[in-house]
Amino acid sequence: MTEHIQNAPQNIYKPAIMKIVAKHDEAPGVRTLKLEFQNPAEHELFKATYRTGMFGLYGIYGEGESTFCVASPETRKEYIECTFRQSGRVTSALANADIGDLITFRGPYGNRFPIEEFHGKNLLFISGGIALPPTRSVIWSCLDQREKFGKVTIVYGARTVADLVYKHELEEWQERADVDLVLTVDPGGESPDWKHKVGFVPTVLEEAAPSPENCVAVICGPPIMIKFTLISLKKLGFDEANVYTTLENRMKCGVGKCGRCNVGSVYVCKEGPVFTATEVSRMPAADL
Amino acid sequence: MTKILFTDKLHNCVEKWQSAGLTVIGPVQKANSSSYATVKNAGELDFNMVLPDRSIKELFFPQTEPILHYSIKKQEINTRESLPPNEPRIIFGARACDASGLAIDDPLFGWDYKDEYWFQRRNESVIVTIACTKADDFCMCTSLTLAPDSTKGSDVLLRPLENNKGWQVEELTERGREAFAKIADFLQESSEPAAPLAVVEEKFDLDSCVAWLKNPENFDSKFWKEISMRCIGCASCTFLCPTCHCFDIQDEGDTYSGIRRKNWDSCSFSLFTMHTSGHNPRSTQSARWRQRIMHKFNYFPGKFSVNSCSGCGRCSRQCPVDMGITETLQEISKLSQ
Amino acid sequence: MITQEQYRTRVKELLSSGTVKMVIGYKPGSTPDRRRPLFIRTAEEANRLVLDSACITNLSGYLVTEGLLSDEKKVAIFLRPEGIRSINILAAESQLNADQIIILGFDSTGSVVKTLDGTHAGDFSELLGSIKQNSPVKPSEVLFEQVEQMTPAERFAFWQEEFSRCIKCYACRQACPMCYCRRCIVDSNQPQWVNTSSHTLGNFEWNIVRAFHLAGRCVECGNCGRACPVNIPLRLINRRMAQEVIEAFDHFPGLNQTQEPVLASFKKDDSETFIL
Repeated sequence: MTEHIQNAPQNIYKPAIMKIVAKHDEAPGVRTLKLEFQNPAEHELFKATYRTGMFGLYGIYGEGESTFCVASPETRKEYIECTFRQSGRVTSALANADIGDLITFRGPYGNRFPIEEFHGKNLLFISGGIALPPTRSVIWSCLDQREKFGKVTIVYGARTVADLVYKHELEEWQERADVDLVLTVDPGGESPDWKHKVGFVPTVLEEAAPSPENCVAVICGPPIMIKFTLISLKKLGFDEANVYTTLENRMKCGVGKCGRCNVGSVYVCKEGPVFTATEVSRMPAADL
Repeated sequence: MTKILFTDKLHNCVEKWQSAGLTVIGPVQKANSSSYATVKNAGELDFNMVLPDRSIKELFFPQTEPILHYSIKKQEINTRESLPPNEPRIIFGARACDASGLAIDDPLFGWDYKDEYWFQRRNESVIVTIACTKADDFCMCTSLTLAPDSTKGSDVLLRPLENNKGWQVEELTERGREAFAKIADFLQESSEPAAPLAVVEEKFDLDSCVAWLKNPENFDSKFWKEISMRCIGCASCTFLCPTCHCFDIQDEGDTYSGIRRKNWDSCSFSLFTMHTSGHNPRSTQSARWRQRIMHKFNYFPGKFSVNSCSGCGRCSRQCPVDMGITETLQEISKLSQ
Repeated sequence: MITQEQYRTRVKELLSSGTVKMVIGYKPGSTPDRRRPLFIRTAEEANRLVLDSACITNLSGYLVTEGLLSDEKKVAIFLRPEGIRSINILAAESQLNADQIIILGFDSTGSVVKTLDGTHAGDFSELLGSIKQNSPVKPSEVLFEQVEQMTPAERFAFWQEEFSRCIKCYACRQACPMCYCRRCIVDSNQPQWVNTSSHTLGNFEWNIVRAFHLAGRCVECGNCGRACPVNIPLRLINRRMAQEVIEAFDHFPGLNQTQEPVLASFKKDDSETFIL
């Protein structure tokens, strides 16, 4: 499933330079940056290789690099969007960067969601908290060619209303007739005017009870959410082979050398980050 | 008749190679510690040690290495690659385990994405291995399907003659032939026999260990906790290991200029896999030791069809608490019987 | 081997009576001169213990293993006098409750091992006091003397050469009973206090920062030097710092559990004004 970059630049550690052209605060401590390539050749390479699900290493010289997915879809390759929570040294520096500033980017790396294989199928997206960005990349990649897919259901939850990311896009999906959006917040996280569900994602998912018939599920979220959501999906009759997820292991090189993301027989950066639930179940659970 | 390099000609050879532009590197004992180091003359080389304390890895993948230099002005970022200096070199007196270690890591540094830093040095180095005539309690090449005279990863294999008189020369690669053509004047044909090789006893049954490791049930075995209880979580074993390849990427400098470096890192450090969120997939030392063993004898061979261990024994030899791969695999051998 | 047998019997008693939940001692190692740390939980295992002059490692660092003492049960441990001093420091620095530690004290001269009388760290104060009294003002080691005689430039060159071998495996830190920090200063990256790279500057930073952190705390058990895979003579630095501390403050660390950490305590009437 891995797509190899045949014409990758010779030095695998040398990043591309990107300009921040827009930024947006999604939730407390969570920010989206919109980035543009400065070097046309690097942009062409990105356009030729990027597919939804792949990730990159975003960096600020002097601070380092941090790994997260490309949050923009493969149907929109003029720019890169990334969404991250400000927590460590690099993400703090990225959060402090302003429009017009230059940052570094290495990638796109890893494998992808095989969305051609999803053609004609119903899609179920399940996501929690800050894990919406990788899901969002797949969602838009599919919505941008809506006619190729069946029913689209999105179940998204966060701890509190404030923690929901991409609020403007949630509204957009809410209004679309061709998308079923189920929003939820954890008990106690609702605001007085909250009109959607209150409850944990797996519970809300079971209530919504999407049919497993001809359906592919994509789930991204914290490990604990994934664990319980997989149980719920099983109850609903989903086959593990039709359930996709992404792993977010710690990485440094992104290209299968530094050893950090190795779990079981898999180097997540090369053979992942996208795996089916069947593949994940073969990995040693304790090391995830 | 075989080609022989007599010991008393070695200084001529070293000079010859040096004048041909080769840096000569070999086993050197210095200040109570030994390593493969650059020498000015043959007299600095020490062939009496079983093997250097530090493995050959650092000549190809140094403990710290600048990979990029950056400089930043207002609206401009400049990145300058910092590749190793072009330095053709000959490593004279490598051990078979060390040379094999390099060959073991080649596929890792080369799958899809090529690590130029590794391969530039690999391509510029001639590796002349001297077969071992002595071993110590920790040597275990034979347990890893290798031997004191394995040729894997070597360009030339030398077999010592009796009484340190010299070496039988076996050129293995074109690169090795080229390097030895330069010193042809100092080689002699002779029927001098080679000294007997070191006897390295087999310490465990590798196949049964691998089978045990591959059985998913054993991943959660209480064995891992017991065997690693005394592990103090340093990186001595991984850093001295000729095949351990994990690294970190670190920036040094400020927002105007600096260096991005590749530094050795180790799966035995608790921070190695720690997420920013605080979640740590391998939060205990036993999980980390299990990862090291699994990686070497299950995951890595699954990927590259070779065990990530060449049996040098440094992990056990230098462990502050007398642990190591040998003990672990010996215990697994017992379990799998 | 009277002592070894005596102690095996004692260990059996301690475990079978439920007085302790675990005993930390030594067992044979991979070569005749090596000993390995051993953790036993049942009386049946007591015969695996060895006690002889090759039992050198200071085992006290294992006591601060996360969770080991959190159930308030007791643990017995084989310790030489330096190890007992470590317990006192760990207790003084609130890292453990010394009442939970049953000490199986021993010492050796040549190949002769002798037992030390006492059960808890407090029982050994007389012994430790006499060690302080008898510790030489200047160590007898030749290399130490040589380094002392060097000019600052020579000394710098000496350490530069020694530290050039450092690979930052942190075996010294991990082997040290006093390096118990859950997150070492070198592992902090916000801010990055110390270069993580193992180049000249980074190696100097690491080894000197560690020496300072050990000043007035190091009991010179030698764990760090023995652990160092590239044989850097770390004992020389620690010894120099210990000497400095005893000369400046008459502080011999680990005498008892109430001793204040010398570089982490201050008095209002300190003659140095910077302290306040």
